Amino acid sequence: MRIYFYYSLFGLAMGTTLSMAGLTDYAQIHSLFILENIPLLLVFALAIGMNMVGFMILSRKNKTPKKQLTKGTIGGSVLFGLGWALTGACPSIALVQLGEGKIAALATVAGILAGVWFYRRATSSALKFDTGICGEE
Amino acid sequence: MDVYLPWWVTGAALSIITLGFYIALRRPLGVSGSWARIVLWKNDKAIKEAEAPFQDNPKLFEDALMAATIEEFGQETVLEYMQSRHKGNDTVPVKPLTRSVSPNRSPWTAHLIFLLMLILGGMLGAYLRGDLNIQPTLGELHTNLFGSGIGSLMMLFFGGIMVGFGTQMAGGCTSGHGLSGFSRLAPASIIATITFFGTAIAFSMAAHYLG
Repeated sequence: MRIYFYYSLFGLAMGTTLSMAGLTDYAQIHSLFILENIPLLLVFALAIGMNMVGFMILSRKNKTPKKQLTKGTIGGSVLFGLGWALTGACPSIALVQLGEGKIAALATVAGILAGVWFYRRATSSALKFDTGICGEE
Repeated sequence: MDVYLPWWVTGAALSIITLGFYIALRRPLGVSGSWARIVLWKNDKAIKEAEAPFQDNPKLFEDALMAATIEEFGQETVLEYMQSRHKGNDTVPVKPLTRSVSPNRSPWTAHLIFLLMLILGGMLGAYLRGDLNIQPTLGELHTNLFGSGIGSLMMLFFGGIMVGFGTQMAGGCTSGHGLSGFSRLAPASIIATITFFGTAIAFSMAAHYLG
């Protein structure tokens, strides 16, 4: 039950934050990608900076596991970058947009579901490399 | 712009969420992983069924481990090793199995609730900004660039496939590689983050200035 509570809490907090940061707004994301929206860039910079300090403190006691570089890291990231620029959405943003009432985001959500399904079901054995599941390393 | 919270509030909030998630759940935040666990929901059942006899009787687990070891190294080597260990003083202390048989895995339903709460969070955020209403498109700029008909929806769908497939292939997305991987200085995450941000910037720049 404790696990469900935390997943609910952090999901709600994250969705609210992403929405209030403007990260779900296509015009905002587009202006970030043409480097005309410095405040939005600072959102990422500050979050990553604070996390660096936080994880440094946390990993003094327990070593935190790290993701491994695989054959898919660069190719997958290029695909993701293109998709993000086209839709303005990453795997969480599409859902947050839907919650905000942006009906068109349903198409993005359906696409993400299809993409994940296609990778996991049809090709993961054909590609012959295991990229792991994010968050379980 | 002023409808959104200042960058330092939301940046700090995202950091607190990443760190809080790690402290509370002992695993890094990663939204693309939640998608994967939901798509692979049937695996949860298979793992649970496979583990059931071992959960009931931990001794079975030791036997299974031994059987696998013998299969891997051959009975002679294993026997030799076991005999050498029990000769005289046992210098290698045997640690008891303290952790449960199954690794620390959250059920797929927890991941489903996580994604559903992201939707609810969007609703709450839009409400707090005073902008909660049904909109058919992603806004004026998106409509200007891609139109508003079935064509633009097809574009979103194919873009979504790229996001879904790409993040699985790369082993993470903005949250997993960007927020939690990059800041733990994992080389793979630094490479991934630079690649997906770089690609998005290059593509958008090209579309903006050339298109």
